[in-house]
Amino acid sequence: MKTKIYLFLSAVFLSGNLFAQEQKMTAAEITAFKQDVNVVAKKIKTLSTDFVQYKHMDFLSKDIETSGKMVFKEPALLQWQYKKPYNYSITFKNGKILINDEGKKSAVDIGNSKIFARINKLIVGSVSGNMFDDNEFTISYFKLKGQNLAKFIPKDAALKKYIKQIELTFDKEEATVVQVKLLESSEDYTRIVLKNKVINAKIDDSVFTN
Amino acid sequence: MQKSTTPFLLINCFLALLLISCGSVTKSYTPKKLDKTSYEVPYFSDSKTDYVYKTNITVYGNELSGIFIAKKINETTHRIVFTTEFGNKLMDFEISETDFKVNSIVSELDRKILINTLKEDFRLLLKKQYVIQEQFEDEFHNIYKSEDRNRDNYIFLSKKNQKLEKIVHSSKTKEKFTLIYNSENNIFAEKIQIIHQNIKLKIELNYFKSE
Repeated sequence: MKTKIYLFLSAVFLSGNLFAQEQKMTAAEITAFKQDVNVVAKKIKTLSTDFVQYKHMDFLSKDIETSGKMVFKEPALLQWQYKKPYNYSITFKNGKILINDEGKKSAVDIGNSKIFARINKLIVGSVSGNMFDDNEFTISYFKLKGQNLAKFIPKDAALKKYIKQIELTFDKEEATVVQVKLLESSEDYTRIVLKNKVINAKIDDSVFTN
Repeated sequence: MQKSTTPFLLINCFLALLLISCGSVTKSYTPKKLDKTSYEVPYFSDSKTDYVYKTNITVYGNELSGIFIAKKINETTHRIVFTTEFGNKLMDFEISETDFKVNSIVSELDRKILINTLKEDFRLLLKKQYVIQEQFEDEFHNIYKSEDRNRDNYIFLSKKNQKLEKIVHSSKTKEKFTLIYNSENNIFAEKIQIIHQNIKLKIELNYFKSE
């Protein structure tokens, strides 16, 4: 009996602890959070940020770390530029994907990379404010210390095959994305940490080329 | 009797010609006395190491790039994963000398001919132990022949420093594909090229150190 009570208490205690780390938002908090993000997002005309990408796979000794810079300009110009440990950039522009792989340039029609396009639509969405799309995702909202967290489960079967869940972490004060986590399975995910964010600096269209 | 030998002679000559022209794989190599009966490949053998390479695949003029990861997960088996630069997993295999398992593959790449080709390529890339039957040499290499079912592998070791520089996988008559290695220390290959001779497929792997 004692053991049972102990187990019960520790279960309550542990789940209480978990809730303290990642607490579900109330309906009112969700509305306020979405509004905060939208207000900030509407002001964003350009955004550039450094990023560090951690590819985690269960069987590896350590995460594969790559880093670089991301640049966004309204309405839909987006560039990911990996600088370390290799030079590789991918630019979304006018329905095309432009790639520069260590100086080797190529272009792909976006139709061939629907998944790429959707992931990036989501990331662009997260800075421009129209990503809380309940038709496309089942969304849940959480509070963390100094941060907010939104979890998106794709409704589309094709997308779901590649991505089980997308998690966007927002800075509570700034209401902008600080981390993107793409979960492929329970063991494998890609985590992208955004830092040194600059909003509305002048960015020339000519940046978006390969 | 005289009459009947002529066609035989002709056939023999024809066969001899055929054999000479077919035996092209080793024709430029000089046979040599065996100096070893087995060879162990040093690369991809450490179970503590994540072998991570930036990869470029050229197939019939199309380019595909991403990240290639190989890891020895037990005594016999390697896990092989190919992802995009973003980290999306494109294929995930487990491979040993006798077994092959597809953990996952995106539908765009799920073609039997592609999977079988990659299986052959990766199996040779990760093969550790070779039994040697014959030896040859050219100007720069000692060349070891190792039978591989109905195929042969030719292992090229540099005469200068004993480094593994090349493995040629061939049928009895012609080369099928070649692995070319660049290695500083002969423990780890910084650059590997897999070049097919009968189809237009080239895979280039360049090692990169995570930050």
